[in-house]
Amino acid sequence: MAGGQERVLRRRIKSVLSTRKITKAMELIAAAQIPRSLARIAANRPYRLGMQRLVLEAALGDPAGAAKLLAMPEHVDTALVLFLTGDRGLSGPYNNSSLRAGERLVAKLKGEGTKARLFCVGKKAAAYFRYRGLSVEEHFVGFVDRPTFANAQAIASRLVGPYLEGEAQQVLLVSARYLSAGSQVVQVQQLLPLVVPELPVDDGPKVLKGYTEFEPEVKKLLYFLAPHALESEIFSALLEGAASFHTSQQRAMAAATDNADELSQTLTRVMNRARQDSITTEIMEIVGGAEALRLGK
Amino acid sequence: MATLTVEILSPEAALWRGTASALVARSSEGDFTILPQHTETVGDLVSSIVRVDTDEGAVAFAVHTGYFQVGPGDGEGVTLATVLAGVAERTTEIDVARAQVAKDAAEVQLAAASKGDQSDQTAQFTALAALERAELRLRAAAK
Repeated sequence: MAGGQERVLRRRIKSVLSTRKITKAMELIAAAQIPRSLARIAANRPYRLGMQRLVLEAALGDPAGAAKLLAMPEHVDTALVLFLTGDRGLSGPYNNSSLRAGERLVAKLKGEGTKARLFCVGKKAAAYFRYRGLSVEEHFVGFVDRPTFANAQAIASRLVGPYLEGEAQQVLLVSARYLSAGSQVVQVQQLLPLVVPELPVDDGPKVLKGYTEFEPEVKKLLYFLAPHALESEIFSALLEGAASFHTSQQRAMAAATDNADELSQTLTRVMNRARQDSITTEIMEIVGGAEALRLGK
Repeated sequence: MATLTVEILSPEAALWRGTASALVARSSEGDFTILPQHTETVGDLVSSIVRVDTDEGAVAFAVHTGYFQVGPGDGEGVTLATVLAGVAERTTEIDVARAQVAKDAAEVQLAAASKGDQSDQTAQFTALAALERAELRLRAAAK
């Protein structure tokens, strides 16, 4: 029956429209989160730059000690790799591009004879590695949408221990960096040994010239500074990750909403044609029937 | 004229920035004061109250460990003192009731962690740190 087809189409349109309602709502929520997460990145920036400047100062103040603490060992037996993903999906390529980059990194490390110990932030990374049978040392979940500094400290404290005790020689971070609204790029960043930052000259206060006084002496300071610099870097990565997640989700959900619009439009056209067809058929049947009656008289 | 610019920064926000006549704080080596034209210095801060003296009176912050850096600021004769603290709050914004609750809770935890033969060291340190934070907040708020 032609009327049956119409009913099926009507049901499909309804389901497409209700999905559209959900994607539209998610788009709006993500869009509302973006400015807030960007404001947090901006608020964190002076602290982060200050921390980097401090590391640079300390490194200039004690080149010998810094060389020992900051230099890459000749061979890395074990590396700690921290993955940053979201707790939720439906966010376009955000989670998967980080995970793919991470898997490539692990494979590369293996090729160099380095054992990777995995640490994951976000449910998605945990699920991904569990499915692939890779053991993950620790998961951190439940805060990636709105990370706090205490979260960063908790993560850093788990990484610093093995590093200072010599169990691992390198700490790497795989995360999406927020470059602009249009571009978020997955980067692999070395957290430890500390990377001495190269600050642009015109960015913030001037860098000192290496004749600075230190309190306490620079060796001690550098040793205590490393965990704090790590916390700072992890926190800013968490903030940028959150911003990237919201941006990516907003874009993905906007595309899904557009698709739903297009689909419901196409389905409505098909449905209208089907209805018209069934009406035409009915008229033909009535006319045909009436004609037959007339001829039969 | 020589001036001093002070910045108090935490990871969540820049707490304060302005011109001051002095910065008073405590490092692991002892109390110190930074005046305009102080030499370039980098150091740590222990858990303490950091005071900034300005023309409109003193502004104080409870700083739970951190670092400071003194260097040249923007412009001629300007000294910039930057305080970097993981956790810091302005003394006027401290919630005394909450700090008191936190202090009591930390004391209970410390007692629980130190009890018996198998005293849990990690728990002891955590409780001690919490206690220290709460006490500093109360001291800072009382000032």
